Amino acid sequence: MPIPLYGFLEGDTLGLLVIAEDAQTVLELTRKLQEAANIRVARNEDVELLYNGKTLDPELTIAQAGLQALDRFDVISRHRV
Amino acid sequence: MLSREEWLPLARKLDWDYTYVREDEVFPPVISGHPWLPHAEWKDWEESFKTSYREYVDNQYEKDLAVYAVRDAVGRLENIQKLAAPWLNSLKVHAAALPLAEFTGVIGSLRGARFGRDSAWRTMSTFGALDEYRHTQIPLLLFHQLVRWDSQFDWAHKFYHTNNWFAIAARHFFDELTLGQNAIEFAIGTNFVLETGFTNLQFVGLASLARESSDHMFERMVTSIQTDEARHAQIGHPVLEVLMKHDAEYVQYLLDKWFWRSWRTFSILTGVSIDYLTALDQRPYSFKEFMEEWIIDQYLRTLDEFGLKKPWYWNIFEDELDIYHHMIYASAYTYRATLWFDFVIPSPAERKWLRQKYPKYWDDMDAVWEQVIERWRTTGPGAANEFAVHGTALPTFCDLCQLPLSGGSPRKNTANVLAQDGRKYIFCSEPCRWIFLREPERYANHQDLVKRVLSGEAPAELPKLLTEYFRLTPDTWGKDVYHGAYDWLEAKKTSVA
Repeated sequence: MPIPLYGFLEGDTLGLLVIAEDAQTVLELTRKLQEAANIRVARNEDVELLYNGKTLDPELTIAQAGLQALDRFDVISRHRV
Repeated sequence: MLSREEWLPLARKLDWDYTYVREDEVFPPVISGHPWLPHAEWKDWEESFKTSYREYVDNQYEKDLAVYAVRDAVGRLENIQKLAAPWLNSLKVHAAALPLAEFTGVIGSLRGARFGRDSAWRTMSTFGALDEYRHTQIPLLLFHQLVRWDSQFDWAHKFYHTNNWFAIAARHFFDELTLGQNAIEFAIGTNFVLETGFTNLQFVGLASLARESSDHMFERMVTSIQTDEARHAQIGHPVLEVLMKHDAEYVQYLLDKWFWRSWRTFSILTGVSIDYLTALDQRPYSFKEFMEEWIIDQYLRTLDEFGLKKPWYWNIFEDELDIYHHMIYASAYTYRATLWFDFVIPSPAERKWLRQKYPKYWDDMDAVWEQVIERWRTTGPGAANEFAVHGTALPTFCDLCQLPLSGGSPRKNTANVLAQDGRKYIFCSEPCRWIFLREPERYANHQDLVKRVLSGEAPAELPKLLTEYFRLTPDTWGKDVYHGAYDWLEAKKTSVA
């Protein structure tokens, strides 16, 4: 089932709508946002996805991670200064 | 015959005591505004600059003649065609945003002309309505001749009639500020906050930029408009004086709300024009410098004069002076086909200037421009490559201001989600969230663009969204002015090779 989410990539100038699927992994969602923002933000492999202030395991599915429609998630550099 | 000094008090003060109806029936609270006070509290309402209808008409006639003379001398199509391409696009922004917004000012002023609580207020509002009608017609007249040459100027009339994302945001702002507002909130939000503060950005700042850019027609137009604004803006002060005696907390709320909402709109309209669409050697100051000199100092002095406090979000506002319009411009560049004017990438010299003027966050913004430039370098310049250097995912918008979620900085976006009454809302900033929570009944049912797409009202595919919902065409949608063919970009490519 498609889940519309507000995605914010560190380094970007605006939030983007990302449509996730229940069975997608957190890592796939991370890559989807990076791809959508790539015109403004260079690809960084060393990132993590934050949801409600916590880092999510990249192997979890979106359903397991508990992301709900119109929630916010952030993709940030793992070694944020 | 009465002298002017005898005539003005006689003509201005026309109120009488009602005997067949109650005063609150003549001036219902819902449309006259809060707090509702008997006329005895308003009877000393006095504007500082007084005029009669005859004087008004004589002055306006002279001002109109001056505008026509400048148009005939330097405002012909051949004069406009000589202007720099980036500045022409600044003109297109204001050609669209200004005229019909001024028309909503006619409606708001007419509400003051009927429901203002003292006859002198109502008289001034009548002149204000005539002013705003003039401010609608002059730009429509001056820009109309340009439509045949460049169809993007057609948006001078078309803009507010579309569901373009920026039109949605502008309507959300002006519908509340002017079109649907009660007389008191109109006087505070429009006359006091917008016209004494932010219109300086448009009419003083832009006039100065237009002069530097050799656009004397636009300079004369906005200067002529400013002389009207300066007169009817004074309606706000005496209204504020009365309100302060009865509900100072409400006054503080209205000021804080309208300062923020005005900031959001004008930081984009004027910030982008000053810092990106004016040639570098024609920028007398940065947008931030202009804000500090013309808006902030004056506004803080006025607050102090009335015993009011700085808005609670002042630190957030000061921080945004360094970054918000840069976030918006870079975002909009990468979604330029969603707008009706063209964009430029800041050159290396302009980026150096921006770094000097905005040192706090420029490193982060510069990284964004490097990435955009790299994309042009990869694809190569040319009109056919426009969409290869363009965003494809749907941008997201604030449920209060309806503008992109570009609050904060590239390192930390300040968007925040609110779950309320079974629905989710997202705001670009704490002040937008605060305004929403103060009056949720006013804002809750308005759908931002994302929710319109998700509900099926607006198409999700970009081409359909542009043409069917935003009413753009391949001729009118925004492009890079040079289609990526910048001398400095080519030079860098050559030197790298």
